Amino acid sequence: MMRAVATAALAALSLAAPAKATDQQSFEQVQRGRYLTTMGDCVACHTAPGGKPFAGGLTIATPFGNLLSPNITPDAATGIGAFSDDQFVNAVQNGIGSRGQRLYPALPYPYYHKMNRTDVLAIRAYLNTLDPVSNAVEPNQLPFPFNIRMSLLFWNLINFDRTPLTDDPDQSPQWNRGRYIVEGPAHCGACHTPKTWLGGDDNSQALKGAVLQGWFAPDITPDARKGIGGWSEDELVAYLKTGVIARSSASGPMAEVVVNSTSKLADADLRAVAIYLKGLKPGTSQSSRPPSADDPHMLAGKAIYKDSCAACHREEGDGIANLFPRLKGSSLVQSDDPTTLIRMVLEGSRAAATDARPTGAAMPSFAWRFSDGQVADLVTYIRNGWGNSASSVSASAVKDVRGGNGPDPVKAGQVR
Amino acid sequence: MSNYALTRRYFLGSTTLTFLFGGVTAAGARTISGQPPWTAFTANPPTPELGNGLLFFIPSEFNTVDAIVARLIPADELGPGAREAGCATFIDRQLAGSFGTFQRFYMQPPFANGTPQQGPQSANIPHVIYRTGLAALDAYCRATYAGKAFIALEAAQQDAVLQAMEKGQAKFEGAVPAQQFFAMLLQNTREGFFADPLYGGNRDMIGWKLVGFPGTRYDYRDHVSKHNQPYPLPPVSIFGRPDWQVKG
Repeated sequence: MMRAVATAALAALSLAAPAKATDQQSFEQVQRGRYLTTMGDCVACHTAPGGKPFAGGLTIATPFGNLLSPNITPDAATGIGAFSDDQFVNAVQNGIGSRGQRLYPALPYPYYHKMNRTDVLAIRAYLNTLDPVSNAVEPNQLPFPFNIRMSLLFWNLINFDRTPLTDDPDQSPQWNRGRYIVEGPAHCGACHTPKTWLGGDDNSQALKGAVLQGWFAPDITPDARKGIGGWSEDELVAYLKTGVIARSSASGPMAEVVVNSTSKLADADLRAVAIYLKGLKPGTSQSSRPPSADDPHMLAGKAIYKDSCAACHREEGDGIANLFPRLKGSSLVQSDDPTTLIRMVLEGSRAAATDARPTGAAMPSFAWRFSDGQVADLVTYIRNGWGNSASSVSASAVKDVRGGNGPDPVKAGQVR
Repeated sequence: MSNYALTRRYFLGSTTLTFLFGGVTAAGARTISGQPPWTAFTANPPTPELGNGLLFFIPSEFNTVDAIVARLIPADELGPGAREAGCATFIDRQLAGSFGTFQRFYMQPPFANGTPQQGPQSANIPHVIYRTGLAALDAYCRATYAGKAFIALEAAQQDAVLQAMEKGQAKFEGAVPAQQFFAMLLQNTREGFFADPLYGGNRDMIGWKLVGFPGTRYDYRDHVSKHNQPYPLPPVSIFGRPDWQVKG
């Protein structure tokens, strides 16, 4: 009964309100918002493991300390139900909270600032249709002095580029759409752009690959060796749509992005992203001097590869199309930073499973079988075998990635 | 009547209990949908017990076992034997583990005399078989060969002792018959010769090289069609092979 009264009151209000550009409750607006919410993969950060979607509570580890993602369901007390549209836009696009407090840029508002207001309000319209979940979250878990939000005033001065995104008339509408997606809602650079010492994007190195939370997000500029220079537009579209193509499988955090976000986007938008990324200026790739083939580390790595990897990834690193990723010519393999490669050997990996590629092939963990030195030799071999070229990897780099996970079998006395 | 007669109260009580525990089990079960679960660092590797020194034998026992395995699989023109493969070390490690007490076997009485098809029916666990058997072997050798221990005998004499044990002609003191002891020695020596090196035997994959077993390789697609050609790759153990280490 109360609900009926409330609905009637709302209906009366909206009838009485002056006509707006868009009706926040129209089906089209909500659907548009749902699509943009998927594109922004909001659910990824705003959902705790095992928690209700969008109810917040996920711990986000930053170099400065931990933050918890807030509840963005329309609960009036603990969510964003009491926000006005302006408060919502101000939070998402300017990093200013409903009480005027500065928000931490774990919310990638510098990206969302590039979005147009209509799109941001569409997201609001969709979030308003969710079931309100009562889940109070205190986002700020940072230690002193980072817990002082005023420090973000200084941060914003340096890192927050407020230049609006305007279409480049010299480029195709597709290119402009791709740039809008990449630099706006999809916030690709949040992972793929290296950070400055302040944790802001180093825009001189935009999308050239960065380490975040123990993963290396590879270069996605058209660098021929370690970027997407060798990828065709079709391959990029298929990768984002299905997660698994002959040359690569999305895994780690990218698998989540593909499953939750890009696989659900329109083909035209994925094509636009591919056109924009292929049109970026590649960095000047310094080709490293590869170790010679008869280097003792390369020989040990080759023996390990032959006995432990070649069954799936094949003798010549060709992999098996759409099942086991190709290592020959792989941009991730040849990245300057081997963190992700080492991590996959140690802990194993699981490819994205999408409707188009439902297998979700998994790679087993080898942490128990290889010592730090053996992983280093193996990875060095993979990075320099079959025409690949990248820097050698040291045992201490493997030790850092291994951390406390799984004993080094040599030290555990298992290998004589 | 007995206390366990089925009464209405007992029936209701036990039914409630069944429901309670049944409910708990159902809640603990996992429902898997979509793809099978996967977690990082998942592995179930074997736990080798190498280490230094002896874990079960005393040195004189170890030396006797070492001499026995050297006669069971001697080094010859085909290559090194069980002594070189470290079979005595393998047996020592196995006796120190769950095998030593037959942890995986049902070991409650009665112990009837079974048929050979029914497997071992004795109350003797490997600890007892080895400890008692070795003591009896020592006594038997000293009585038969003028006070000489097994390790002091000539190879031909050692072979004669082992053959007498195998045929049951040698009479051993104590609870462990010579035949039972010999059967276990022979089986454990073979196991030590061909088990993965991580268990202490098959050192340098000697046993695998002898018979051409490739070890823990698992992809033979390139070789399936190559009939009557030797397999070219060296054996590899669970923890690798010497080429995995950096040389020089």
